[in-house]
Amino acid sequence: MRRTRNLILTVIAVVLFAFFLDKAPEILNGYWQRILNLIAINAILALSLNLIYGITGMFSLGHAGFMAIGAYVSALLVLTPSQKNAMWILEDIYPWLLKVNTPFIASIIIAGLVAAFFGLLVALPVLRLGGDYLGIATLGFAEIIRILITNTARLTNGSLGLKGIPAYTTLFMSWGCLGVVLLCMVCMLRSNFGGVLRAVRDDEVAARMMGINTFRVKVLAFTLGCFGGGLGGALMGNLITTIDPRMFMITQTYNILMIIVVGGLGSVTGSIIGSALVTTMLEWLRFVENPITIGSINIPGIPGMRMVIFSLLLIIVIIFRREGIMGMREFTWDIFFPRRKPAPKTERPASDTVLEVRDVTLKFGGLSAIDDLSFDIKHGQIMGLIGPNGAGKTSAFNVISGFYKPTSGTINFMGQSIGGMSPDEVCKAGMSRTFQNIRLFGHETVLQNVMTGSRIRQKYSWWMTLAPFIFTDVIREDSAVKARAMDLLSQLGLEDFAYEKASSLPYGAQRRLEIARALATRPKFLLLDEPAAGMNPQESEELLQFIRRLRDEFDLTILLIEHDMKVVMNVCDYIHVLDQGVHIAQGTPDEIKANPRVIEAYLGKGAA
Amino acid sequence: MNLNIFVQHFINALSLGSLYGLVAVGYTMVYGILRLINFAHGDIFMLGAYFVYFATIVYHLPWAVGVIVAIILTTICGLLVDRIAYKPLREAPRISALISAIGVSFFIENFAVVVFTGMPRPVVQPAILMKPIEFSGGVRLIPLGILVPVVAFALVGGLMWLLYCTKPGLAMRAISFDIETTRMMGVSVNKIIALAFGLGSALAAVAGIMWALRYPRVEPFMGMTPGIKAFIAAVFGGIGSVPGAMIGGLILGFVEIMSVAFFPTLSGYKDAFAFLLLIMILLFRPTGLLGEKLEDKI
Amino acid sequence: MEAMLKVDGLNVNYGAIHAVRDVSLEINRGEIVTLIGANGAGKSSVIRSIMGLTKSTAREMTYISPRDSKPVNIQGKPAEEHVKLGISLSPEGRRILPQLTVEENLTLGAYIRDDADGIRDDMEYVYSLFPRLKERHKQKGGTLSGGEQQMLAVGRALMSRPDLLMLDEPSLGLAPVLVDEVFAIIREINAQGRTILLVEQNAFAALKAAHRAYVLEVGAVSLSGTGPELLDNPKVRAAYLGG
Repeated sequence: MRRTRNLILTVIAVVLFAFFLDKAPEILNGYWQRILNLIAINAILALSLNLIYGITGMFSLGHAGFMAIGAYVSALLVLTPSQKNAMWILEDIYPWLLKVNTPFIASIIIAGLVAAFFGLLVALPVLRLGGDYLGIATLGFAEIIRILITNTARLTNGSLGLKGIPAYTTLFMSWGCLGVVLLCMVCMLRSNFGGVLRAVRDDEVAARMMGINTFRVKVLAFTLGCFGGGLGGALMGNLITTIDPRMFMITQTYNILMIIVVGGLGSVTGSIIGSALVTTMLEWLRFVENPITIGSINIPGIPGMRMVIFSLLLIIVIIFRREGIMGMREFTWDIFFPRRKPAPKTERPASDTVLEVRDVTLKFGGLSAIDDLSFDIKHGQIMGLIGPNGAGKTSAFNVISGFYKPTSGTINFMGQSIGGMSPDEVCKAGMSRTFQNIRLFGHETVLQNVMTGSRIRQKYSWWMTLAPFIFTDVIREDSAVKARAMDLLSQLGLEDFAYEKASSLPYGAQRRLEIARALATRPKFLLLDEPAAGMNPQESEELLQFIRRLRDEFDLTILLIEHDMKVVMNVCDYIHVLDQGVHIAQGTPDEIKANPRVIEAYLGKGAA
Repeated sequence: MNLNIFVQHFINALSLGSLYGLVAVGYTMVYGILRLINFAHGDIFMLGAYFVYFATIVYHLPWAVGVIVAIILTTICGLLVDRIAYKPLREAPRISALISAIGVSFFIENFAVVVFTGMPRPVVQPAILMKPIEFSGGVRLIPLGILVPVVAFALVGGLMWLLYCTKPGLAMRAISFDIETTRMMGVSVNKIIALAFGLGSALAAVAGIMWALRYPRVEPFMGMTPGIKAFIAAVFGGIGSVPGAMIGGLILGFVEIMSVAFFPTLSGYKDAFAFLLLIMILLFRPTGLLGEKLEDKI
Repeated sequence: MEAMLKVDGLNVNYGAIHAVRDVSLEINRGEIVTLIGANGAGKSSVIRSIMGLTKSTAREMTYISPRDSKPVNIQGKPAEEHVKLGISLSPEGRRILPQLTVEENLTLGAYIRDDADGIRDDMEYVYSLFPRLKERHKQKGGTLSGGEQQMLAVGRALMSRPDLLMLDEPSLGLAPVLVDEVFAIIREINAQGRTILLVEQNAFAALKAAHRAYVLEVGAVSLSGTGPELLDNPKVRAAYLGG
């Protein structure tokens, strides 16, 4: 119903816009047509950089390099042999290159693919770096690409550049490309795979615990973004008709970065609005660089002023309105209509010793965080792991869930050795966890957080999400996942929050959401790291009931770390006590309460 | 390659490398404390060159006075950049400050175009610095070639003294490990950060002035490439480490000059070496030569 | 007895978590006051708020310096101002600067002072309290053992010549022998005229050393009294092990 309405509205808007483009050459002069073209191209570039940076969270400063690749590839493919012959003056063109000639459409697709290929080459080594280093390394690659272009004259005509590229980029072409890019991107971002991308940005650690191979996802998003960069560069070359290496300096990347910052990092709508705004202003501001005559007064043009005003705007935006125009929001037709809630439904998985920890030791430098720890957990048990501060409880969790590799010892999970597996593999094997300091995908909706947890249990591949109307599996699986997520939310009493931002939830609800997300991976074994931290006594009481219910309803085995002794003593069947990395006691809650070593560990010597 | 030519290349590499090193020190100090790539640092370097140009050539101040005036003005600019563009963003995500830095860099460059015009301007080299001195073995050197590394090493030496033998230096090192603890010791963190910006800018000014003398000209975008390369030198040496920055700068200088000296056909790729070097070091030793490991906590 | 620090109605919120609820406490000159409670009870948040490291609200937070007996409202002041007033903190987890030497760490502790002779004397005093630090004065902080780091953190906090010394979990992660040693030194420091606010999880050691104590449970004071009174109170045990 809502879907059909929105589809109709979208089709109407597209048709109206196409009609406008059709009439544009008659209404608008060349100057405005050019601006309109540039808006579309810049929007493509901004969308692709936004995919890399705003959505997946990788700070890349290399976009100009990928544009350059795209522009050159396309230009070399569409220039005719006679044009090429005339242009290569200093050195001869490679004979094979002289003859190559393809239609324009093919050339821009190849341009995108070549850029994507280089993107992949860059991504594989460089994406292992994080943050600023990634920015600098990508900037370096862009610069290397530019230097290569300047120096491989037989291939690129060097610093002379290429001239007389046919002006194939018409309004329909640029906006058509934008339309396709936009459609694919929106479809992808709306699918559960899109949620995965944003999850990697919001919290990579938690995403890995949801079974996501985050490195692979980042390489993919980067490569796709580079495709967009190449495509945009190709269109740009065929619009301006002249390209040379100096066009693709770091300034070009800054321009695109400015668009996405102004529009809102992570917002598709923002990229388009930002592109329209920044492109128009950049062109319009040219007047400050041209001489103006008002009546009898002549004001000389001031070169450089345009960029001064622009850089000031960028600084002001980042200081006073960091989130840009759109923040992370998107435009939907729904803003014109009120929203209603969907409805929910249940199911269950089923073994004896679930987890077997044998002689596990974990050392950092020379210090042992865990010393020779061994214990078993049986199916259906709720086991507590307690100990004073610094006892090594969280380290034990990190070893079991694959974040740390044990220095020695073995861990068997349902008959499978998992010591040394990565968190995403551990998750696939059927284990999930929560974190002491709550690691939600804060910018995402509650529903999307849970759906991200289900991604590893879905079968479709990422590329199908680019065209879900063809690969209907995407739609079918996503709606199944959504239904299950809603179901989980209602079981945990979170259904009213489904469309709220996760970070806006009250604290107790965030804790439950983290558990819901963990359950979405369909675990058989759940690790809870201090679920009662920060809760008041009444909330802790509710939590007690909730943990028992979890075990029964989801047929789970649970291991929990907790400081709130009321919770531990009341909910656990069996308790292990660590102190300074050493396993000092085990037993039922009553045994533990009476154990002198435990009392001493907690209250100090002489307390027992 | 005869001895004279080799010595020329060697001195050239030493000068270029120590200039990179001087600029790199500014990057490394700010990054060490704020984890911020101060993209505007290369442009501060450019301002230093312009100020000395105006002081000596336009306002006819004596060289010595002109240099001092230029250093002071540049330092003030560096402090203003911190105060206006970075300080409001101390609590913001780091990426915001980075984008602000890009904005500032853009701003300074284009503002320079507006004020100074985009035309490169020639710098008059003082004759005393250019008169070649004869050494045995047919080696001829100009004093400038020797002056540049001497000044650079002296300044970095002075900075090391300040960092390792004075109280503000101690505070500066402490801040780079743990701002909160340093604050608990009664250190006014913002003053120390300003000190780091001030010192970095002063060194960049000196580097800018010597750069202008070497190439003899100034132009608004002259800080861009040396700036990025100096940052690479800082990463190479191990970001946060002052001696590392100097060593990184020297290595970069030598790689650039010597590769072209021995393989003249590669001269077109000169600027690519820095980036290749950077990517290699990031892949094989992400902390740089003298850097400390920073770990994430789960 | 003269009050030195008065805190009334202190609240700390981290986002949606209400970590400290309406805590009031008072410290008199010359006392050792301890704040005990299980992990996550909000002890560190209280002490960090007093130091100006954590944002908090309070009806009153007044410090009366023994130097001039003038009450100063310390709410909202940055941490560096506190040091100048005569308050210092040895933080939880020691927070030694790992790349600085033992001596540099101590010198940093005396950052606000300019009297070179006095600083030298105090350094000798710290070395006399902790002879182990003297042996290692050229060693980097990061290479010390846990116990030595703890000594360094306490020594560093003493270097500003504080009137009020706040210690956050000084026994954390120490072997039992060392715990006794640390508490003996705390008593010694107190005997030399410094007032001490001690946050501890190791309740029994802390109660034995303290004149008065407050027990914190889920962010609120549940019990207070003199050290000996609380030592035998079963509610203390319940606060840790859940009754």
